[in-house]
Amino acid sequence: MSILAYNGAAMIGMAGDNCVGIAADTRLGAQAQTVACTFQKTFKISDTIFVGLAGLGSDVQTLSQTLKFRKNLYELKEERTMKPKVFSAMLSTLLYEKRFGPYFIEPIVCGLQDGVPFLSGMDLIGAPVFTDDFVVSGTCTANLFGTCESLYKPSQNPDELFETLSQCLLASVDRDALSGWGGVVHIITKEGVRTRELKGRQD
Amino acid sequence: MSEFLDQSTPSSAPSGFDFSLSHRNATLSSDSKSSINMVAKKTGTTIVGTVFDGGVVLGADTRATAGSEVADKFCEKIHYLAPNIYCCGAGTAADTEKTTELISSQLSLLRMSTQSPSRVVTACTMLKRMLFRYQGHVSAALVLGGCDISGPHVFQIYPHGSTGKLPYTTMGSGSLAAMSVFENEWKENMSESEAVDIVQKAITAGIFNDLGSGSNCDVTIIRLDGTVEIRRGALKENPVEPLRSMINRSSKFTMGKGTTAVLKDTFVKAKKGGEEDMVTD
Amino acid sequence: MASLLHPSQTSNPYNLKPGEVSSGTTIMAVPFKGGVVLGADSRVSTGTYVANRASDKIAQLTENIFCCRSGSAADTQALTDYVKFYLQQWEVESGRPATVKVAAHLMRKICYQNKDNLSAGVIVAGWDPVSKGQVYNIPLGGTCIEMKCAIGGSGSTYIYGLTDALYKENMGKQETLDFVKKSISHAMARDGSSGGIIRTCVVTEDGVEREYIPGNKLPYGP
Repeated sequence: MSILAYNGAAMIGMAGDNCVGIAADTRLGAQAQTVACTFQKTFKISDTIFVGLAGLGSDVQTLSQTLKFRKNLYELKEERTMKPKVFSAMLSTLLYEKRFGPYFIEPIVCGLQDGVPFLSGMDLIGAPVFTDDFVVSGTCTANLFGTCESLYKPSQNPDELFETLSQCLLASVDRDALSGWGGVVHIITKEGVRTRELKGRQD
Repeated sequence: MSEFLDQSTPSSAPSGFDFSLSHRNATLSSDSKSSINMVAKKTGTTIVGTVFDGGVVLGADTRATAGSEVADKFCEKIHYLAPNIYCCGAGTAADTEKTTELISSQLSLLRMSTQSPSRVVTACTMLKRMLFRYQGHVSAALVLGGCDISGPHVFQIYPHGSTGKLPYTTMGSGSLAAMSVFENEWKENMSESEAVDIVQKAITAGIFNDLGSGSNCDVTIIRLDGTVEIRRGALKENPVEPLRSMINRSSKFTMGKGTTAVLKDTFVKAKKGGEEDMVTD
Repeated sequence: MASLLHPSQTSNPYNLKPGEVSSGTTIMAVPFKGGVVLGADSRVSTGTYVANRASDKIAQLTENIFCCRSGSAADTQALTDYVKFYLQQWEVESGRPATVKVAAHLMRKICYQNKDNLSAGVIVAGWDPVSKGQVYNIPLGGTCIEMKCAIGGSGSTYIYGLTDALYKENMGKQETLDFVKKSISHAMARDGSSGGIIRTCVVTEDGVEREYIPGNKLPYGP
């Protein structure tokens, strides 16, 4: 079993009409044994940037702090806010620097760049994928791809996006033993971020 | 071996790979139940390049794979190196991406210091030196193409750092399918449209006959007069849109508001006027 | 150490890493009265796939010194680049053209010092006013032997007997050239990883003559 799948994760980033959403499960396991049901895997980097970190739990926490630190340092040095595209590039180089001793993380980046949705996903050594519909990551990417391909619609409003994201996530994790146990969805708009904790199956 | 292999990087700036997690990862993988299966994204790829009368044509498919999963259906494999030089990449996606990025920035610094346009051989030499230094561990197989003062050039570069200068070349898992088209149809002194046709045909051969290659065909033309034409998705043999529009989605798939059970709902207003506060944990 | 075995004695003669590009090769160099003849096939392969069918395995080190490469393509290219660089530096510092002996011993030094990391067998040959035409063979371990007739690469195993039989002392230029072409074409006919065209290079006091024989005009072939 790969270390990437040791703790289990499922996450989606999806674009809507002038809004973008990120959804993730909340399970932390040690292979088949569930250790916690409230593990944070999505992190707010700024009002317009969220990052989802799927992979080894310790690296999730290390990287979330490193990323916040790097983003703060950038804004202090440059005296401007960091855009999602810049954040994604920074994360990519951060991962590739450890090419031969990587962090076991497959991240997704969701954000609004000048009001327009930005989505990117990466492998554990920082090869980026940019999309304009959805990105998925975690131990059940195959399931997530399936639900997203069938439920995704372009130009959804924040409420529609929330429902689509939630159903995609919940349906996928029901067929993955390593992820689930509740979920969280953030919908990012110009006005702010709406966060909803989902009621999910506890098995 | 020291002077032969680690051609030392400038000592001032921190650079190069960071091996600090290697020990931890080795410990993790020695745990009997887990292993480090690097599922890094690969570009099972067809990439080609050919010279023609007035320049160079580069071609690539647009599929990126992670194992047997298609990770990206429309990725870019023709990378920018210099205004007159482009480079197709096959192998590990991150390696081709970052290697070309690095050499591209080194080339632009070189252009600033020499006040002259980059040459294709220079790019080739920089790439082969870097790849040789990492003894094949940076797995980037490249087709380099461009025009400079001495004419149009195409090079093939292997992950271990060997290079070859050829009038036409193919690389990646679909290279055999693509080469069969070139060996059959390539002529000397072709026109631009002939060259583009052959390149598209070669990539299409890769797309249809190699499982690792797929989706669309990208073409980049670099001409002797210095103009560059980037035809992203020059051929779309496998368009997604018609397939998607064929699906008659049941209204049951449109979730109404309130479908999902929510335990907690919070809203955090964005800060206005661009004054972004520092995020604290 | 496997690398000290003769190429024919091991299934992976040059200890190539998986996927590494090799010049599964036939190379040859023979001195004659007024100079030296170098010859090589043109096939570069990755496993069973021919990566380049018209490559040039005869690299120029200085004005009048050349070398034939065999083994890992990456290693031998890097090797010749280094030797080329050091020889240029040597010529500038000493203010005179490098002799073949200097070039060969420089090559040997780098091959020997890095023998654990290299899979390279090279033949250095050229002409200089001190010792005229000379050929130095530098096989895998990094020994350097001056030879009257040097062959190398995977294809050479097929033609040891042939070259021993055909070689004569005091051959002329054309005779030597024909000898080289004939020997290499025989190796190409029997060795799967040698093939393509034959490239030759004649170095004399008067300069360098390079030519090639297309694959359908070989002196011997299927």
